[in-house]
Amino acid sequence: MQAKMEQGKRKGKVAKQKETKTDQRLRKETEMAQSRTSGGKLFMAVVYMLATCRAVPINDLLNRASERSDEMYSLSTGLTKDLASHMSPLSWPAMERPALCHTSVLPTPNDKEQTLQVSESALMSLVRSLLQAWAEPLVILSNHASTLPHPARINISNKIQNLQDYSKRLGDGLDILSGKMGPEAQVVSILPYHGGTDLGHDRNSKLQKFNFLLSCFRRDSHKIDSFLKVLRCRAAKMQPELC
Amino acid sequence: MSLLAPSYLRDILKRCSSSETLRSNKQLFHSIEADLITLLLLLSVRLCASPPGKPVLIGCRSPEKETFTCWWEPGFNGGLPTRHRLFYEKEGSEEVHECPDYWSAGKNSCFFGKEQTSIWVEYSLTVVAFNALGNTSSDLFKIDDVMKIVKPYTPENVTVLVNDTANTPYLCVSWNHPPKVDTKSGWTTIKYELRVQKEDNKPEIFHPNKKNSFKVYNVDPGATYTVDMRCQLDQSSWSEWSTASVVKIPNYFQNEKPFWILVSIFSVIPLLATICIVVLKRKFVKQWLLPPVPGPKIRGVDVQLLKSGRAEDVINALIGNQNFPPAAAWMDQTEEYLLVSDSNDWLLTDPYISQKKKSLVIPAGVQLEIQCRTSAPAQSDCENAEVGKDGKVEPDHLAQTKESVLNVAAPSVSSGSKEAASGNAAGPTGYVDIQQHKGTQGAGPNAAQWDYSWVKEVNGETIFILKNEDAAAGLDVPGWEENTAADYSRVKEVNGDDVVLLQKHDSADSSCKKKEDRSAEWTNQKAKSRHGSDCGKGACLQIAGNGYVDSVPRFYVE
Repeated sequence: MQAKMEQGKRKGKVAKQKETKTDQRLRKETEMAQSRTSGGKLFMAVVYMLATCRAVPINDLLNRASERSDEMYSLSTGLTKDLASHMSPLSWPAMERPALCHTSVLPTPNDKEQTLQVSESALMSLVRSLLQAWAEPLVILSNHASTLPHPARINISNKIQNLQDYSKRLGDGLDILSGKMGPEAQVVSILPYHGGTDLGHDRNSKLQKFNFLLSCFRRDSHKIDSFLKVLRCRAAKMQPELC
Repeated sequence: MSLLAPSYLRDILKRCSSSETLRSNKQLFHSIEADLITLLLLLSVRLCASPPGKPVLIGCRSPEKETFTCWWEPGFNGGLPTRHRLFYEKEGSEEVHECPDYWSAGKNSCFFGKEQTSIWVEYSLTVVAFNALGNTSSDLFKIDDVMKIVKPYTPENVTVLVNDTANTPYLCVSWNHPPKVDTKSGWTTIKYELRVQKEDNKPEIFHPNKKNSFKVYNVDPGATYTVDMRCQLDQSSWSEWSTASVVKIPNYFQNEKPFWILVSIFSVIPLLATICIVVLKRKFVKQWLLPPVPGPKIRGVDVQLLKSGRAEDVINALIGNQNFPPAAAWMDQTEEYLLVSDSNDWLLTDPYISQKKKSLVIPAGVQLEIQCRTSAPAQSDCENAEVGKDGKVEPDHLAQTKESVLNVAAPSVSSGSKEAASGNAAGPTGYVDIQQHKGTQGAGPNAAQWDYSWVKEVNGETIFILKNEDAAAGLDVPGWEENTAADYSRVKEVNGDDVVLLQKHDSADSSCKKKEDRSAEWTNQKAKSRHGSDCGKGACLQIAGNGYVDSVPRFYVE
């Protein structure tokens, strides 16, 4: 009887042990499963984030920015031609620059060698500063374009509105782009415009000031375009066709 | 003494300066030497040196956005060796610079190298001509921005190749960038323009996206094309057109000859095969293409019998199998005739026979039988009227005895009996039609069955139909009497022009009141019948012109 009891006890023990073993195994397995699931979830989350928040490469961004600036420059060139087209050279005030452009204070590279020596971040900073400096004058130009004493003023007014639009879009794009470049790219110099909101009182002075502002803008937009294209070529070493 | 000796020249100059000297000289030398002196004087005037004339700056050009060159036109040099010098100022600086290179670009030019060239900077240029006597400077020439004077050279090595290996030939144009332009650093953006002109047509302009090649697809074989190109840097002025290349596209069909030969051979073989098949198996093909149409088949009729063609057999076959209604034989008999009895005072005041019912005025004693044209038994509308003594047709006399009927002899009556199938067995059409000829009764086998009925007696408002025992076919029309009783009704009263009051009959469908207008059209009798009279089945009464109310058949014309 005792033997039987002992046998029974032993069996019970064995059973208990087995039970504990299975328990442990179960626990381990559940833990492993849990960790697996959590790890899997994490992995999936990371993959999902990467997929959705896929970053646009810098090359692409620079390419788009260059295209925008090219459009802006060609529009401003066309605008200066429009302004000069309907006026005979006699009635047209001499192409005198009454003053320096308000952006002349900003030192920029003026030829190829100088430009190629400037770092990318510095170039980006220059571009952004120039673009920012024209936000206010463009508003003044568009305000006065519709009342300009010029036969093509409707056309000019439309083009200036387009210019404002392009300028805004390019500025937003460059903000994003500069975030991916060095800290120097974040520096934006303030170049205030002191020319006043008025263009002048008589016809000639109005036209003259309008023309002056437009020529300054054309020049600066070409600077922006050139710098961005240099940046694009530098960033796209694997794609020589972009240069 | 040489003419050009300095002392002599000084002398001449002194003389040039004062005109008085000249005059006194003239006066002094009146000999041949005077001429010589004059000549010398003239020469001296010519050799009068003066300060140089004003040079003019023609223009400047930058071919690659890195350097630029300016040219000027010198003025009159004043007889002395003159030297030109170019000075320039840059924007933002008061410093005056001189041209660094007078020789690289040729005579009367100034070449600004890379170090001296600044883009987006205003240049002010002047050219000064110097000679021994002085200097003259040109007008100020301003370059607003070097970009404004950028004009590249033409693209190099423009080659055009004709590619006609594929089905559609095309031109492959290839070129190189213009010389000296930097394409590696992104400093310049070159845009190309390609011009293709077919023979003497209007040229087409293309703007290639690629840098070195372009394919022109819409080319016609056998035509000659002229291709040239030009380029532009950053929206600058366009360069000149390159030298044109002329190409001729070879004719398309000449190349395709063997192909077309093969095609024709391969199409001829199946064609011949189909022709052989069609010819050899004519019948089969014909049967397949145009299947025979099955002929008509009549049940019970033997086609072979018909083909043999014997008339009796045919008739038996055709007719014997069918049961035609007996009426068909009657359908053809449409003859119209008027039978008038032979009696005194015979006067037909208003006889007319028509398909419709019309009034009839017949003198007394005249038995008038009108047999109208009938197309079908049901459509008969004949009327019988008996003319009374007064010339009025009265219903009393409508009854016709057999004898009176027999008295009637109309020469026009044909032998073939025609029964106006006015009344028929079908129903009470309201007709009493008297059979006029005994002999004609038996013409049709079943004719007399429904066509006629004998009137026994007309008594006031009612007409009694005589049952004809003698009739060969028997005119037993059951139910006829009742209906015919409704045929005639006596006019009670005529109320004005359009109201006729009839005497009410016992029979069902007798009294119909109608408006009557002799000249007017008949009113809708059906409508009248709805008022309560029993003119249901068409046995309505129609008022004749003279107050006689006639029965109307089932249908009538309004």
